[in-house]
Amino acid sequence: MYREYISAFTNFMVMKGFEKSAKQSSSYWKGNKKLLLQLIEEQSETPVHMILQRAFIEPFRNHVQEYSLLLSRLNETLSMDATLTDSITAYGRLQTFISQALDEASQTKTLWSSVSSKLVVALCTPDRRLQEDSKNIPVTVTPGRYDRVLVFNDLLVFLQGNEPHICDLQTVWVDTTVKQKSELNNFVLRIVTPEEELFLSTKEQPHQVLWCWKVNQLIQQRLEGTRDFPLWGKTGESNDPPNSRLSKYTYRNEGRFKNAVYEGDMSWGKPHGKGTLKWPNGRNHVGDFKFGQEDGFGICLIPDSSGDRYDCYKCHWRNGAIHGYGICEYADESVYKGYFKDNMRHGFGILENQTSTTTSWKYTGTWDRDKRTGYGVWESSDNSERYIGMWQENQRHGLGIVLLNTGSCYQGVFNASKLVGSGILITEDNNLYEGEFTEACLLSGKGKLTFANGFTLEGTFNKTAHSGLQTHGVLSTGCSFQDEILKKKFQFGAGSFPVEERWQGIFEQFQKFLESGCKREAEESFLGFHVKSSKKMQKSQEYLYCQRDNEKDLGQTEDIMKELSLELKSLQSYVEKAFNTSHHPLKKVIKLLLVVFQATYSGLGANFHLLSMAQEEIKYYAKKLWEFFRALLALKTEKSSGPLSGENDEDEMSEDLNPYTVILPAMLPRFHPDLFMLYMLYRQQEDALYWQGIVRLGHLTDTKLLEFLDVQKQLWPLKDVKLTPTQALPLTKNPANPNKAQPTPYPRRKRYSIVRHKCFQSATECLQKIISTVDPKEKLEIILKTYQEIEKTVSRVVSKDYKLPMDDLLPLLIYVVSRAGIQHLGAEIHFIQDLMDPSNRGGINDFLLTALESCYEHIQKDEVRLFK
Amino acid sequence: MAIRELKVCLLGDTGVGKSSIVCRFVQDHFDHNISPTIGASFMTKTVPCGNELHKFLIWDTAGQERFHSLAPMYYRGSAAAVIVYDITKQDSFHTLKKWVKELKEHGPENIVVAIAGNKCDLSDTREVAMKDAKEYAESIGAIVVETSAKNAINIEELFQDISRRIPPLIPHQNGSNGAMKLGRQSLQPTSRCC
Repeated sequence: MYREYISAFTNFMVMKGFEKSAKQSSSYWKGNKKLLLQLIEEQSETPVHMILQRAFIEPFRNHVQEYSLLLSRLNETLSMDATLTDSITAYGRLQTFISQALDEASQTKTLWSSVSSKLVVALCTPDRRLQEDSKNIPVTVTPGRYDRVLVFNDLLVFLQGNEPHICDLQTVWVDTTVKQKSELNNFVLRIVTPEEELFLSTKEQPHQVLWCWKVNQLIQQRLEGTRDFPLWGKTGESNDPPNSRLSKYTYRNEGRFKNAVYEGDMSWGKPHGKGTLKWPNGRNHVGDFKFGQEDGFGICLIPDSSGDRYDCYKCHWRNGAIHGYGICEYADESVYKGYFKDNMRHGFGILENQTSTTTSWKYTGTWDRDKRTGYGVWESSDNSERYIGMWQENQRHGLGIVLLNTGSCYQGVFNASKLVGSGILITEDNNLYEGEFTEACLLSGKGKLTFANGFTLEGTFNKTAHSGLQTHGVLSTGCSFQDEILKKKFQFGAGSFPVEERWQGIFEQFQKFLESGCKREAEESFLGFHVKSSKKMQKSQEYLYCQRDNEKDLGQTEDIMKELSLELKSLQSYVEKAFNTSHHPLKKVIKLLLVVFQATYSGLGANFHLLSMAQEEIKYYAKKLWEFFRALLALKTEKSSGPLSGENDEDEMSEDLNPYTVILPAMLPRFHPDLFMLYMLYRQQEDALYWQGIVRLGHLTDTKLLEFLDVQKQLWPLKDVKLTPTQALPLTKNPANPNKAQPTPYPRRKRYSIVRHKCFQSATECLQKIISTVDPKEKLEIILKTYQEIEKTVSRVVSKDYKLPMDDLLPLLIYVVSRAGIQHLGAEIHFIQDLMDPSNRGGINDFLLTALESCYEHIQKDEVRLFK
Repeated sequence: MAIRELKVCLLGDTGVGKSSIVCRFVQDHFDHNISPTIGASFMTKTVPCGNELHKFLIWDTAGQERFHSLAPMYYRGSAAAVIVYDITKQDSFHTLKKWVKELKEHGPENIVVAIAGNKCDLSDTREVAMKDAKEYAESIGAIVVETSAKNAINIEELFQDISRRIPPLIPHQNGSNGAMKLGRQSLQPTSRCC
């Protein structure tokens, strides 16, 4: 209560309130002067305002004085009482406070009377107090425009004549470490404000120390919004204000930030930490700053020309420019997700416009300085076409493939979005044209047309939009079977787009991430946001205050890393986990890869002419992921220097650990649906033939089928059929020569002959599992097991270990395959062949796969399909 | 010592004893690493040759006429082919000639061809003269031996001969003749035929 009164009193005093009130009612005061004098118990002559002033303050001072006297006396009589001593010190403090407050106020008052009225208008407020003046403790300011320095409790003021230059103490930093070499005996303080740097120099060190100390303490108090009393309290205690503080500042100087208001963490005059920067034009940046520039994550709204819509950038910044991964929602409702460099789209990115009703399109690919340049995929839904190929400056330029929703597709060379020269066109019914086109992709000029039936037509073509196709040429019906197959299965893009260069933008970022040492804080800018947080981000700016990292999960990942040994199983399970952990770097990469893969090969891209491109890509992904995985591993090893020693890695790794064994099993399930679709389309015709064969064989009973396949009778597993517990099969003497074996009369043959799907049932069921897995390695294991089941059955039948030579095995295998009735077996086999570990080649798995393939081929044959 | 994997494919009529030869070859010697086999259809055996180890990956084929057209799948990528005939059956020698012809036309380049006249223990009922076989083999530059899987005659020698004929490993050129170094090669899209 006392304090409040005192500060109100001093405020009044600073504003010369007493003088004013004395003047205003001087006559009244004169009349009552005696009374007043009595009030302050003083006899001498004093001006009225002084009397008033004293009248308002002295009773209180006296009161306080009396109380403290009383208390100290009490203390003496009552010996030491804790509460009492406390009260005494409190009253003591109050006394010093009162006297200091009065001193301060009178000093300030003196100042206001001594300086020009202009200054008073500019600076004078009731609760502002002068704290130091360069007239008392001389300092000089460089650059030397200013002749006087004043420190108030909230401002630092430099005077140039009567022109004040005002700095809020919130944004003032004092640096004592500067030394000016040239002048000895010159002690310098560096004063830093957001847009300036000034030096205060004194001739004597104590002066420097005093200024520094005072200013720092004032800053501290200003920041805390309190005023400490006693004013120049405890010496020796560190009272340096924090370097980093929450402040607000409006930029005045020319530059990018002109007139912008910054509010947030600052350090040494620069935005540093989290903050908000608002420009008068509506631009608004919320995010991380470093040394005065946007750096780190930030959300920036930039108004478009009309001012009522905004481009919203949620991006990573570096040195004031967008750099790294970001999402931008443009004012025209298109959205870009990808990488930036120097405020421009650069590297890999996806730009799409899905919301607008008229045209929706999507570009997935490479950017260079805000333009589509490099490999990319464009899809538009209005005319339903997809372009896969090279771009330059937003135009199709270079080799490209166009897929139309009619099913036809062409590959050609583009120049500024127009087709030039010759290309290849494949219609939906598999007619293939190689030759020249018009810009609008109409047949024109020399070319060769290969019909789906193998006939070729070579000559000149001419087609306009209105009339039909006109042609002069030679029709040839003598196309070789081989050629026809090749043409039918023509693969686009083979060799034209090196797989290494297709999605470089994605891998590059990871590479950089690795090189930067995999720091967690750098992860987002390289690899994009966590899934979880990106959902939160839709709530826009709140995002900043959300907890972005799920520390617990991260901890878990590292734990897994620690437990990791170089065994295949543990590596596999780690990769599996990594791919399922939303914030794991590998997961992010694979997510992006999946996006680009689907952008290219699903939907319109499900065209078997793209198969070789697709499978090439898958294998390359696996290879790259494997490289990254190893690099991550090496990095972790380095950090923990745990049981995995770096040197051994190379040797041990090369044995049975490779992309096919470690990465593919976890990776393939994600890509399988789209990839396998391509295989199925590619194998459509063969699979249809095969299926005819399967259906045909399905009509046969077991014995009929075994007979049809020339399986030696001694191997017929009729024991499996419960009819015949006593049946002894007649053994032929020469197992290797079944053709010569005499057909033995069969007593109960008729009853067997009605049995279906009983023989080799275990093997059949085993083989059917092949479609339940996507990992080629597992599929191969299933084939091996199928074989083992066959062998088991046979061994049981002949009651001894029987080593099946191919002469016997192949018919049995055909039997099992035909009974298993797996749809798309051709696609399955092709898929395994392409994606199995190449080290299998020539080995047991390769052999079994080849055996399976030969069964598949055999079932397609006319003699099987048309068998009656 | 470097291990080279050599794919060897067995061709010949049914009943000439293709798999018996391999069984004999593989079983006679104790193999340290018991490699998995597919009955008598797929077997492996490692033998030293010079300063290399040759690991034979032996692929059996079905000899029946009706499966003849499936053979290319088996012999693609083979370093060597062992074509077996039965010296007691003139027919099987005819089939052999067909195989040789087919290999020359469609088989891998530089494939080592070895002709084995099996069942030489049954020379009483011989139908194919040794001389004929030798002349034919010379004309096509093939290895020729008469073997007996039953009595283990010339089996070892047959594979040793093949080993010697395999061209020494030239780096970067190992893919073409089907000899594979342990290691990774990118699997080329196999052009499909038949």
